[in-house]
Amino acid sequence: MSRQYYLDLAKKNVAFPIGAELVLKQRHDHHAALLDGELLGEVIADAARRFRTPLAFPIMDLQLEKAILLETLGVAVADVALFHFTTCPDPAAIGTVRQRLRHDPLTPRMRANNDALRHIATRTDLVPVGMCIGPVSLMTKLISDPITPIFMAGSGETAEDDAEIKLVETYLELAVTVIIESLRHQIAAGAKAIFIAEPAANKIFFSPNQLDAGSDIFDRYVMVGNRRIAALLAEHDVDLLFHCCGELTDAMLLNFTRLAPALLSLGSSRDLVKDAALVPKDIVLYGNLPSKRFYSEKLIIPRQVETIGRDLQAAMQAVGHPFILGTECDTLNVPGCEKEIWSKVDAIMRCTCGAPARTEFGACT
Amino acid sequence: MKTILASLAVAVETGKRNDAKNLTQSLVDKGMAPLDIVEQGLVPGMSAIGNKFKKNEVFVPEMLIAARAMKECMILLEPLLAKAGIKPKHTVVIGTVQGDLHDIGKNLVSMMLKGANFGVIDLGANVDPSKFAAAAKEHGASLIALSALLTTTMPAMKTTVDAIRASDMAKLKIMIGGAPISQEYADQIGADGYSADAASAVDLALSLVGETH
Repeated sequence: MSRQYYLDLAKKNVAFPIGAELVLKQRHDHHAALLDGELLGEVIADAARRFRTPLAFPIMDLQLEKAILLETLGVAVADVALFHFTTCPDPAAIGTVRQRLRHDPLTPRMRANNDALRHIATRTDLVPVGMCIGPVSLMTKLISDPITPIFMAGSGETAEDDAEIKLVETYLELAVTVIIESLRHQIAAGAKAIFIAEPAANKIFFSPNQLDAGSDIFDRYVMVGNRRIAALLAEHDVDLLFHCCGELTDAMLLNFTRLAPALLSLGSSRDLVKDAALVPKDIVLYGNLPSKRFYSEKLIIPRQVETIGRDLQAAMQAVGHPFILGTECDTLNVPGCEKEIWSKVDAIMRCTCGAPARTEFGACT
Repeated sequence: MKTILASLAVAVETGKRNDAKNLTQSLVDKGMAPLDIVEQGLVPGMSAIGNKFKKNEVFVPEMLIAARAMKECMILLEPLLAKAGIKPKHTVVIGTVQGDLHDIGKNLVSMMLKGANFGVIDLGANVDPSKFAAAAKEHGASLIALSALLTTTMPAMKTTVDAIRASDMAKLKIMIGGAPISQEYADQIGADGYSADAASAVDLALSLVGETH
């Protein structure tokens, strides 16, 4: 793969949501499919074809790496969702986690995800896309209040000064370890591109005032780990697709561009037309229709989605930046609102060729 | 005392928790009434940072660091307030709805409400709908505050409102908030108010319990 592939894709004026979960939830056996790699692969391929994209995006489940880490450290599966660490693990834990993940690595969900990647890689002509949470976002799921210690660390306090900073830094390092191992498995399963979702690298967790005053906390806590990820992917010739749907400063965005992703996916709080001036032209911008509001007919209607989408496509073409129209994040299924959400997904698809989202990939010319 | 109170307000506003604790202790040592320390030192500090937050001059981290400074002062003051028989005029039951584990926004609102002298019963995250009305009854609350971060958990907010309305606490005021929430959604599910941010949540809470701010 090469970044030229994405640049060429952008030239084709494609538009698609990240929405494999929507397709999955249409199946009566969706719970079983999450644990069956073959079936999950079929769902992901079906989603890519229905959204007329060659990129087979998996389900965006940002709890997977948390589950791997917790289960490796002996936390019961049932407790994973609610669990937060309050103490640091044994100093040898990082080595133990790395060793265990190398040899007997994964949870049943992750095994199914990797089998689905293998299915896409070997049984379809689609691009197998892996998915992983970013390091700082994973760390924020492991600790109940990471914001305060992040701010304190940004003010110059250290892990020696404060136990909470030590907690944050310990679990950030463990997060990087788990993510690197998860990525190795996804690459081995055939991923040609990996979507790194780092939604917590934003203005909620990192104070713009503190960064403007010269703090290096964003670099230390966000960029160091993501540079390791980018290097790993580059080493294996796997494309980095980087995503952050949080509210960002321009400086945060510029940091992300330095990772040189092939594709940069941003949230609806960003003005992509303005961002085009900040982002190198060999990085395709993706997004950023407000899919978090798709569930409600009062918040946005299909005609608005189509109008915003077409206007954005035209504006990005006018500024000459490679762009793929899509959603600001995963188009989550909201129970009871499926019809409403699909009407807006169809509106996105009409921005490309006028056809709704259920035709086969390639049928639209 | 006025100088120390002013310094305390600044220490809270800027999140200097050790300074805030020391100043609070110094005011206690000088014999100042604990409620006066809260109302003339801590609350002005939290209000100052809250106002800056509303104007986008500061961000969530600055709010949380201020809230932490205030919390540490309250650890010193709460036993003294209880000993003096001082209770908040209004109590609010707060929690993140079932299925949602995010509690940063809820914690922030909780601290802001404490700063405004509400009694706060924090039920945590992922709260069963039936627990809100039960806790409100148990603690004599006049308000319930619900939080949700995810679009996927918003339906749980409606379920919770329905559960409260179906209980013997049906007439209790309910306020809601969280990233995907809107006034339209509040109207749709029968909540009494919606707040876009933690600082505005205090104004809303005061208006819902019939207090001017």
